[in-house]
Amino acid sequence: MVIVQRKELTLAERLYLPEIFRGLSITFRKFFEKPITRQYPEEPLPTDEVTRGQPRLVVKDDGNIACVSCGMCEIACPAYAITIDGGETDRQIEREPKRFEIDMLRCILCGFCEEACPKDAIFMSNELELADYTRRGLIYDMEKLKRPKSALQPRIDYVYKINKRWRRTQA
Amino acid sequence: MEVPLPLIWLVKIVVIFGGLVSTAALMSLAERKVSAWMQYRIGPNRVGPFGLLQPLADGVKFIFKEELIPAGANKFMFRLAPALSAAPAMLTMAVIPIGGTVVLGEYSIPLSIADVDIGVLFLLAFSGLSIYGVILGGWASNSKYSLLGGLRASAQMISYELTLILTILAVVALEGTLNLRTISENQQHVGEWNIWTQPLAFVLFTITMFAETNRHPFDFAECEPELVGGFHTEYSAMRFALYFLGEYCAMTVLSCLNATLFLGGPSVPFWPEAPWFVGIAAFCLKAGFFLFLFLWVRWSLPRMRFDQLMRLGWKVFLPLALANLLITGGFIAFGAH
Repeated sequence: MVIVQRKELTLAERLYLPEIFRGLSITFRKFFEKPITRQYPEEPLPTDEVTRGQPRLVVKDDGNIACVSCGMCEIACPAYAITIDGGETDRQIEREPKRFEIDMLRCILCGFCEEACPKDAIFMSNELELADYTRRGLIYDMEKLKRPKSALQPRIDYVYKINKRWRRTQA
Repeated sequence: MEVPLPLIWLVKIVVIFGGLVSTAALMSLAERKVSAWMQYRIGPNRVGPFGLLQPLADGVKFIFKEELIPAGANKFMFRLAPALSAAPAMLTMAVIPIGGTVVLGEYSIPLSIADVDIGVLFLLAFSGLSIYGVILGGWASNSKYSLLGGLRASAQMISYELTLILTILAVVALEGTLNLRTISENQQHVGEWNIWTQPLAFVLFTITMFAETNRHPFDFAECEPELVGGFHTEYSAMRFALYFLGEYCAMTVLSCLNATLFLGGPSVPFWPEAPWFVGIAAFCLKAGFFLFLFLWVRWSLPRMRFDQLMRLGWKVFLPLALANLLITGGFIAFGAH
């Protein structure tokens, strides 16, 4: 059994009014403080290279995507979000994806595809917003996934920094 | 006094009732804005500049919402109750003098809709009626939460009405009239304000005002966590909005009454000859202060327990109000002033 020793209230406290005014003065002071609300669509969340957003395909400076449709990311993907149909190409790499789709409703933004890719073709961008009117619209095809390399450069540099121990090639 | 034109009456009615209803609408916005500012938030700011058109958007939404009536409800009473709650609150505004007398050509226009000699009595009688809206709404809903909310509200309002009437009675005894216009005209100078002669009555009236309108910290009729909304649990759409309109109107009227009884109504401190529009501005400022006080207290203080409320009402406020009336009566009888 716990015996709680209650504090004897002073007359001012028992009158209740001074304490009410004390409480009111506190809320009145808060009245003039700066709001901490973030007006989301106008003020987006700050992102940087550590942000692991939706995966995007790198478009190299010569205009071609770096992907050779090896299927490593497709295998690495724990959510089975990636579908690749490979095909031949006249370029020197001989193979390129004819169809590269990521189902954004399945993607769990784990970043395994980024780790698995041997050609530095897929990276996690800082894009986080995901909304559409249909499910089909959220299965992103190649055109929707392509991003110029410059847009992904901070993330690429960051991944190189943390993976320096085992990566030998340079992008 | 001149015979007033019907047109002048019409303009006065439209302006004062329109002002009352738009004040109530703006209060619904102010409530959300004030609560937001006190919690480091911004509040509604999407509709119109600074969210000023939010009440309009809310009104449109309320009108187009589906109206639900519970299966076991008494349909007639259920439909009637919100109107019974809102109408008395709006009617009482008729006797409040919002300003002095305007002289336009040969007409002198007193700035209140009705200048009745029993103004205080009229106001108290009608504000006492608004309890029927709450208890009938709670009963007609055929829901235990609503019934409990209605019962609590009636017990509370009857208890606190006593104190309210006794504090007003002290002022009435002092002024010797029930006419609100005469009461406000007797307080032209700041030294004549009744707050100086009746400070206890002022404090009691201000606190009782909260209980009378079922506002925090005395909002037992609604009591969201315990009663899921209380008497208006089963209400939806415009009838729900009507309850809120009534509540905000009652708040506005009681704020105006407080300003009239204790703070000299439209009298401007240290400027007794102020033109009529300055008087109206002063009146709005005084009433606005009390309206802000309603919101300020709501977002600062927690709700009391029901037994605390009853104890406060019957064991503290009622004896204090009676003693105040007795002392006032003694001073009047023995001619102290």
